[in-house]
Amino acid sequence: MPMDILDIAGIYGLLGACVAVVFLLWGIDRVDPNARGAWTFRPLLVPGVVLIWPLVLWRWWRISRGETLGKRHRPPRLAQDYLALALALAIPVLLVAALLARQNGPYERPAVMLEGPAAEQDKSAQ
Amino acid sequence: MSVKYIPVQWVPTKYVYDAVLLVCVAVYILVFLRLGTPAADFTRPVDGAILRMRAFGTCAFLMLTLILCIGPLAQLDRRFLPLLYNRRHFGVLTALVALTHAVYVLNWYYAFSPTPPLEALFYSNTSFGQFLGFPFEAFGIFALVVLGILAATSHDFWLAFLSAPVWKRLHLLIYPAYLAVVAHILLGYLQDTKNPTFALIAGAGALGVAGLHLAAWARRPEKQASQEDWVEVPHWREIADGRARIVSLGGDERAAVFRGGQKLSAVSNACAHQNGPLGEGRIIDGCITCPWHGFQYRPGDGCSPPPFTEKIPTYRLKLDGERLFIDRNGYPPGTAVEPLAIPEGALR
Repeated sequence: MPMDILDIAGIYGLLGACVAVVFLLWGIDRVDPNARGAWTFRPLLVPGVVLIWPLVLWRWWRISRGETLGKRHRPPRLAQDYLALALALAIPVLLVAALLARQNGPYERPAVMLEGPAAEQDKSAQ
Repeated sequence: MSVKYIPVQWVPTKYVYDAVLLVCVAVYILVFLRLGTPAADFTRPVDGAILRMRAFGTCAFLMLTLILCIGPLAQLDRRFLPLLYNRRHFGVLTALVALTHAVYVLNWYYAFSPTPPLEALFYSNTSFGQFLGFPFEAFGIFALVVLGILAATSHDFWLAFLSAPVWKRLHLLIYPAYLAVVAHILLGYLQDTKNPTFALIAGAGALGVAGLHLAAWARRPEKQASQEDWVEVPHWREIADGRARIVSLGGDERAAVFRGGQKLSAVSNACAHQNGPLGEGRIIDGCITCPWHGFQYRPGDGCSPPPFTEKIPTYRLKLDGERLFIDRNGYPPGTAVEPLAIPEGALR
């Protein structure tokens, strides 16, 4: 199963690299006028394209069709508020659960002297 | 602002910000390595590789904790706003420190078997059905991937290309990533260590993030329950000259009501650049100035001054006796709206 994950990640990365080559050499000039003639910043975009290439293709397609996102001035404020609240509530719960689950290690336990095999044999002989 | 992209837009303050960051990270790593050996768990041998991975791992956690504190701190106290300005460089550096931690882990714990390190990382513990002994590495991998995505999409191009709302949604992944980092530490290092120092620091840091976000949550603008078109602007007389009051219009929409002398204007609270909170900014040289990156807009029409081309929505205002109202139905970005004159003696 883990091999499958790595295989999928490898294929995903390979496709991402292909998209990066096409997008950064050809597509970017068509989606953003500020990128035309600007080459030095493009290598910085390679990791991003490789990581989120499906999103890149989706936006490229939308922009090439002349579609704009209607709610540009409505940032996901509520989503951010609720995520921040969920984070604030989850952290103490996780902290308490981890501390409760923590097992005492050998450092906290009193040492116990174990009897060796020779002592056990002596006992059985008696 | 409508100029050709360059790799990094350096300004003197960014040099200082980044230099301070780099020095702090270097000092932390060196101090950790110097002091770490005697403080390390003496029941197990801690060698240099383990010490280095711990140094970078704890450093990445503390950096991420600070990053997540900056937002609510800036909301609670304006003096923290300058820390927001270059937070993206802070994030990129954090991702690099976390990656260094991961490389040390891979090249030590998973390096001495015939199984390739990455496979060993996924194979070594698959006890996903239990809390104690849960493969905490999975949380670390998730957080590292998210940090990588956020760092890789931090250039201004991504904001323009993805659009600010999509970019923002992508970067909201920082919240689950931070929770994953906390779980990574609590179910990993905390379960094993006998040295309480970092456990206490980690707990305090994580609880600090939680507390600050709760405090910022409590300070949100009052919600407007009414569905009427006109929404009352509370405490509008207290708006200082050149400053604003943020009004919630319901849902995700917020407006900023600015006072410029004896006139009031209302624009979207979201900057067209990165959706920064314009209402926390001020009017400089006659233009509303975003506190995050200095993008500017004219109060009368929401347009950036030439040669820049950014535009934000504008809103109508009206006075009804002593009360100020804003029309929740904003105009399209860049629409001119006559500022509302404040009657003589109306301001305190």
